Formats: sequence, C-alpha cells, structure tokens
Amino acid sequence: MDETFEIEAAALAQVLDELDYFQILKIGQTAGPSEIKSAYYRESRAYHPDRFYQLPNADLKESIGRIYKRINEAYVCLRDDVKRPKYLADISGPERQKKLRFVEASEQEMKKDKEQEIGTTPQGRKFFMAGLSDMAGQRFAAAERNFKMALTYEPNNPNYKAKRDEAGKLIKNDMTVR
Amino acid sequence: MAEGEIAIGIDLGTSYSCVSIIENGKPVVIPNEWGERTHASVVSFLEDGTVLVGNSAKRNIITNADNTVYSAKRLIGRFFFSDEVKKAQAVMPYKIIEGENNSVRIQIRENVYSLPEISALVLKEMKSIVENYLGHEVKKAVVTVPAYFNDNQRQATKDAGRIAGLEVLRILNEPTAAALAYGFGKEITQKIAVYDLGGGTFDISVLEIGKDVFEVLSTAGDTYLGGDDFDDRIMTWLADDFLKKCGIDLRLNKYCLQMLKEASERAKIDVGRDAVAHIKVEGICQDPTGKVMDLTATLTEAEFNRMVMDLVQRTFKVCDEALQSARMTASDLDAIILVGGPTRLPIIRTSVKHYFQKDPMAGIDPDEVVAMGAAIQAGSLMEAKSEHYLLDVTPLTLRVGTVGGYTDKIIDKNTPIPIERSKSYTTNRDGQDKVKIRIYQGESNKASECELLGEFEFSGFRIAYRGEVRIEVTFEIDTNGIVHVTAADVETGQKTTTTIRLSSGLTEEMIRAAQAKTAATQLARGAAA
Repeated sequence: MDETFEIEAAALAQVLDELDYFQILKIGQTAGPSEIKSAYYRESRAYHPDRFYQLPNADLKESIGRIYKRINEAYVCLRDDVKRPKYLADISGPERQKKLRFVEASEQEMKKDKEQEIGTTPQGRKFFMAGLSDMAGQRFAAAERNFKMALTYEPNNPNYKAKRDEAGKLIKNDMTVR
Repeated sequence: MAEGEIAIGIDLGTSYSCVSIIENGKPVVIPNEWGERTHASVVSFLEDGTVLVGNSAKRNIITNADNTVYSAKRLIGRFFFSDEVKKAQAVMPYKIIEGENNSVRIQIRENVYSLPEISALVLKEMKSIVENYLGHEVKKAVVTVPAYFNDNQRQATKDAGRIAGLEVLRILNEPTAAALAYGFGKEITQKIAVYDLGGGTFDISVLEIGKDVFEVLSTAGDTYLGGDDFDDRIMTWLADDFLKKCGIDLRLNKYCLQMLKEASERAKIDVGRDAVAHIKVEGICQDPTGKVMDLTATLTEAEFNRMVMDLVQRTFKVCDEALQSARMTASDLDAIILVGGPTRLPIIRTSVKHYFQKDPMAGIDPDEVVAMGAAIQAGSLMEAKSEHYLLDVTPLTLRVGTVGGYTDKIIDKNTPIPIERSKSYTTNRDGQDKVKIRIYQGESNKASECELLGEFEFSGFRIAYRGEVRIEVTFEIDTNGIVHVTAADVETGQKTTTTIRLSSGLTEEMIRAAQAKTAATQLARGAAA
C-alpha cells in the first residue's frame, strides 16, 4: 500500500469528528443523488475494509474501519430525501458542532420529552401550568408554591425541579432589590 | 500463494451444502470422491462413534432415525422457546432438548450437541472434501447464510465454522454471493434481483452492480419458508388420503413420517421435472392385523400447483417489500437470478416470470452459484487488494428495549454495513452501579414481536447521584452483519465492562471444548448415492 494513502487515512481518522457528511463524501452541499452515489462508490473504493483485510498494521486497520463506517453513515443520511434537508439545516445552524452526526429523535423519545416538560400526572400538570402563568405574571412566590405542589405528584420530574429552583432564585433576587 | 493459504467458499444450506474454490482465477465446485457436487446437510452418528455426513447420511434418516440430524439450520441461533423449535420437536425423529440460557441442544444417545456443533460437522465434511481434492489442509473459509438471518443465527454459524477448525473470514449473505458469482468478471452495469428459495428459507435481494461494485439496495426474507414447506404440503395430502382410505394416520409414527417425507421430496422433484409423480412407498406401515401396507398415489402438476400456490404468493409479498425499500418497481430490473433447488420447479419459474415480467437468467446453476460466490469473496479477501467491493446491508432493524415492553429503533433495516450508532443513557437511581439494556432485531416497536439478541449489563463506571453519570452505548454492525455493543462513561471516557446476560450463544470455553471434540470426531466415508 502506498505511503501517501497511509498518511492520508491516519490524518482523516484524526479529524473525523470535525467533519460533516458532505466533507466526508467530499462533495458540495448542493450535490444531487447521482453525485452522492458516485462519491459513495469512489470513497468505498478507497476505504472499503475488504481491501485492507490482510493489513498487518492493526491501528491503521482500525482507523480505516472507523472512516468507512462514517462514509456509510454519511451516505445513509444524504441519500434520504427526508433526512438530508433536516441535516443541512442542523449543520448550518449555531449548534453545527453538536449535529455533525445526524440524530433522529425517535417518536417515543419525543413523546417522553414532551411528557417530562409538562408532566405525566393530571394534578402535576395542573399545578405546573398554574406555576408557569404565575411566572409570567412575576408572582414568583406563588409560582414556587405551585411548582412545589406539582413536585408532590411527580417528585422525579427534572423540569418541575428546574422551574421550582428558578422561581426560588427570583424570589431572593426580588428581596435583595427591594 | 503458499500452500495452505487458500480460502474456501461454503454454502451451508438447510438441505444441501456445496463447496467451491478459485482455480485459475475462476470459481469451481469441488466434488467429493464419488463425484457428488452437492451434499445433504445431514449428520448421522453411527454406533461405533464415527459420524457420517452428506448424501450417505441422508439415507440413514429412516434406518438410523434417532441418531441422524437434518435441517439443523432451521434451529441454529434460535431460543428453545421459539415456535420453530416447538414445530421441529413435533416432527423431527432426533431428540431436541433445552440447554442452558434457553438454548437448543440435540441429544444423540448419551451425548449432547449444540446446533453449531452439528453444523460444524457439515462444515468439517466440506473442508475435508477440498483437502482430499487438493492434498493439503485448508484453514480459512467464507461461509454463507440467508440474508435475512439475524445476529444470533449469524453468530452461531460463525461459531460452527470455528468449531470445525476454520477461520471464518466472512459470513456472507447467500443472495449477495449469488450476485457476485453472476457479475464477477463481467463488465456490466445492471439492477438485478436475486430470488433465493432454499430448503428452509426465502430471501430476495435487490442489487445494483457496476464494473467493480456490488451494492445491495435492499433485502427481505422469510426464515420460515422454503422447499421443506412444499414437501409438507405433499405429505399432508398423502397422509390425509391414506387416512381416508385405510384409516391409519401415518403422521403418528415418526418412522412412517420419515418415509412419507422422503417420498414427498421425491414427488416434488418428479412433478417438477415430469409434470407428474407416481408415488409408491412399499411397506410404509402395518395395519392392526399385521398386514403390511403400501402407499401409492399419483400427483399431477395441476394438483401440486394448487397445493403450494399460497406459499409461492408469500414469496412475492416479500418481493414487494424489497422492491419498495429499494424504491423500485419490477420493471426497473435488468435481470432476475434464481437460486436454490426449489427454483427449478416450473411453478416458481412461471410465477417469477409473471411477477417480474421478465425471464429469469438462464445458465446459472441454482444449487452451486452461492458456493461459487463465496469462493470469489474468499479469494478476494486473501489477496492484498480486492478488485471488487461488496456493499451489503443489515436485513433487520436493530432496537433497544424501553419501558413497558416497547423498543426504540437504533439502526434501520437496509442500512449499509459496517455501521455504528451511539446512544446516551443516564443512571436513574442514586449510587446505581449497573445499566442493563436489552437488544432486539425486528420491525415492530413491541419487544414481544422482535427477536431478542441478548441482554447486556454495563458496570465499572463512576458511582454518583442519579442522572449524573452519562453512559454512551455504541452499537456496531460489522461486515458479517454481527452486532457488537460497547459502552463508555462519557465524562471519563472509561470503557465499562460488559456482561452478556441472556444469549443463546456459546461461550469461549464451550467453543474451545467443542473444537477439541469435533477435531477428534472421525468422519466415516459412506458410499456413493
């Protein structure tokens, strides 16, 4: 195997987590489906693990394996009409660094997040919503009471706790200002 | 290449197996000493401790029924509580028992065998056929599996190879192997479908092949549908008829059942070739007065086609699914490749032609093409540089168990492999020192409708308040389609120790013990069929 490739592969493996999928496949963000496919074939030709099956250098073999898995990951996302626009928006936004690897929130996760936000019990939700309207009306002491009530129904809800603490701080601030 | 540095390609089938190597740059099927090119995947344990494998062992299904194992591939990698195992217990003459961790074991006289050990004996026979032909030892192999095999079944097949004394270079999907054999050395760019109806399983794969690239676009299958099911239909027909005429149910006796099964398989082949089968089994049973009875029947093609039509239709439902996943219609395809013995049946050929609106490719041997593809892949993995690239996919969605018996998707089906995906978990109790996850494969979000791969337990991370420890679990599917799970503490990067708590697989010690046992087992040489 030629030395330049070896150096290139090692360098690529180093920076893998800083590249977006377009950079992994070495294509522009406007590339069409046929361009994506031929880029995928081109990169597969270069990095397919079968080519390096007999490679004695275990570290390099591991690096190539990591690169190739990322090439597959990039291809899966970019060839998909639904995932690709979302991904492009993700990496063009302020959280680019966190979203270089496509994350698909599952339905259950989304439902769970929603539930965590406003609660899973009717009473908890009622007091939590009341607390939120107190916050909006700057009635921080009332808000804290409502969040505490909500917490008696759902003691493990992290969102309730965060809001209670937030209200608590605002009460103190209120007092110091006065 | 040094002597011994050859890798063989093995098609380990439900009913028949085949072995191939590369000679002068081309794959060739290696026959055994009697010129047989395919070998029944049957293992018969003889009284003297030796073991007979292949077509001569198949003849023992009736005479040495209790000690002759066939269709082991239907059971490999399955849990003891699965339906397939229950079904096998009812019809198989050999004894199927429960091993540790819900695994399946076969009892032969006082010995107990795991399924990988049984398959290892078939693989050992394939290995020795090549060794006999070449005059030296071979140590490496590519072994094929149905594309729709799950992780448990792939892992068990890989274990079987190791137990047989082979280094398994790759677990290769059967339809992919067939496509490789078809496209190898041809400068073609085509979209093809491989319709693979074997003895026990059905697979369909849609591929795009270029001059050096073989990309699987989608795969779908049914691991409960194969030629055996066609035999079963004939069996039911024969048995019902016999019951009506003579008042005796042949299915109640396992020996009669075996004779019936053998007659049915022969009838299926005859009716496919000659459009009619004359079935005659002399002395199939005795009536209550001790009179020996014969079974005679005539099966016409029309009758046979009526019996199996729903099975044939089932394969096309699976084809619909594969085409849909590949975002194609039948008319987009340039070629259809038929694989597996049952595809010789006219009913299959005409139905396939009708469904795809295209004649299936001629000149491809459906019994040998998979082994040849495996040999090509074996050869290319042995070379320093591959001339072609197989871009294969995972057939089933990988999932993790969540609360309330549900599952969450991790890696979608038809995702190219190798691939990995990570997911973060946090502890939900103060001082929690273990995180347990269950992994599944399947297309339902209900855990009970998916195949359980195993339960992993992670420990060795920091002990802290709930929610403070984040554990990143990485799921990887390798080029063999085998799943690996590792976990690390996000903050410290410390890899955790992983224990697999529930698994039908074999431990390292069990594999080593089986290797020694298999190496010591003498393969008897039978006679030509």
